[in-house]
Amino acid sequence: MFEQRLIQLPFGDIVHSLSGYTVVLFAFAVMFVVLAIISLPEKPVDIVFGTDGYYTKEIPVDLMKFQRFMAIACGIATIGAITTGDVFNFTLFAAFIGILNVGIVAAVKNKPVLDAAFSYGLVIMMATVPLFAGAAIIGATCGTLSIGELMKAGIHAPIVAKLFLLVGVLGEGMAPFYIGKAEITRSPGAPYILMIHVSSLLLFLRAVEIFLMV
Amino acid sequence: MMIEFLVLLIAAIFAGLLLHGLHRKIIARVQCRPGPPIWQEVLHTLKFSFKQTWIPKTASQVLYVAIVLIAIGIWVAALWVVATGATLLILFALYMLHKIVEHGTGLSSGSPYTKFGAIRSVMSAAAELPLLATVAIVCLFTETLSIGEIAAGNIAAWDTVAKDIATGNIVSWHILQWPLLIIAFPAAVSLYLLILSKAHYGPFSVIEAKELVSGYWTEHFGGWRALLNIATSLKTVVLLSAFVLVFIGAVPWWLVIILMIILLISVSFVCAATPMLNPYQVVTVQTVWTIVVVIYGAVVWLLKLGGLL
Repeated sequence: MFEQRLIQLPFGDIVHSLSGYTVVLFAFAVMFVVLAIISLPEKPVDIVFGTDGYYTKEIPVDLMKFQRFMAIACGIATIGAITTGDVFNFTLFAAFIGILNVGIVAAVKNKPVLDAAFSYGLVIMMATVPLFAGAAIIGATCGTLSIGELMKAGIHAPIVAKLFLLVGVLGEGMAPFYIGKAEITRSPGAPYILMIHVSSLLLFLRAVEIFLMV
Repeated sequence: MMIEFLVLLIAAIFAGLLLHGLHRKIIARVQCRPGPPIWQEVLHTLKFSFKQTWIPKTASQVLYVAIVLIAIGIWVAALWVVATGATLLILFALYMLHKIVEHGTGLSSGSPYTKFGAIRSVMSAAAELPLLATVAIVCLFTETLSIGEIAAGNIAAWDTVAKDIATGNIVSWHILQWPLLIIAFPAAVSLYLLILSKAHYGPFSVIEAKELVSGYWTEHFGGWRALLNIATSLKTVVLLSAFVLVFIGAVPWWLVIILMIILLISVSFVCAATPMLNPYQVVTVQTVWTIVVVIYGAVVWLLKLGGLL
């Protein structure tokens, strides 16, 4: 049902690989890491309340540097989650992406934004429970966490474990929660903020592949 | 192969722009207006191509330009996937990545109008969840994700329909071997809703609503708008042709074009006759439909587990 692996890098029974599907995700992740490295942030235009005037906000250099660092690290973690051939490594990368997503938001020195970052942090911490539980159940029932081994005929991961993984990934990729709150309109730094959505989406797409494969 | 694909690409761009023109024409006629000529979108794109083009001072300059090129890249790759009959999962991924393009286009300029368009785009991500359920349902019925194999299977299925109807005995019909348009009807509705949600002037077109000027792409003008027009024309062709191939089958190319036009006309009628919903209504409708499709998918999966499929 799935395409042949195009590139393989075996470490024992754990085979890091790229299929036609993950190559697309990998290329997209690399593109946005490069964009985070070379792009400068935008200057958000805002209305002067009660008047017809408007002004542009300047983003401080230290904020830009911190957000850029977080975005690049997040992109690299996303590449790790896409290429890994091990369910446990995937959950580690997912947890890493969650932390870095919070870091990108928490860099903004604005009280409502920081309050929101605190809420995201709680969601992400709670999401690690089903995330790692899913990996643990797969390990306990199948005897391996290697995606390559799990793909072989005769080994099927329990549906509960796969659902746990999916729920955990939905919690770690915080884009839906982030969009649901008004703080996004206050957060500058388009190339770095965008990485929250890139990482959340790519993590979800990789989780879909794992869900269907193991 | 590359030359053939290049010819297909150019044809798809023009076909997509003409389909957009037809969409506008039908909406206008339903609303008792004369409307623009069908080739208006081709003229628009050419006009934008030769207009003065620059980058707004407030924009994140590299992102502002790169996101347009990424949009083109995504839909050229999607056309390649459909043309070669590759995996449906890659098409699903490319469609999802288009969300990032919409979001990036909106965020990159620094304008509040485009930013709100971008936020609405991500909010309406609920439209993509039925798409995932659609892929899963198609996979459960056909046990393949190859668009080529699914399309070929549908053609064989229409023969089964003809034979079953010819027998006249309903009890002996092989309904589970009928085409996906019939047996996976909720999945077909999901893809149709997705096409509708991406159509201009539709009930779900909140990301480019007029209260946001032109929404997420307000600040992309001149050559950038021409390139985005090309990307959206490819998107229309890819989504319509994917619907025909996955749910109707690998019919001759001229019939694919006729079916795409019929599909578009139906979308245009819905767009003309339906007011634009607000963002919360859009998300509610999409979420309710997601629940319906997921329940249908779960029933199909349980039947398969029970050996009834």
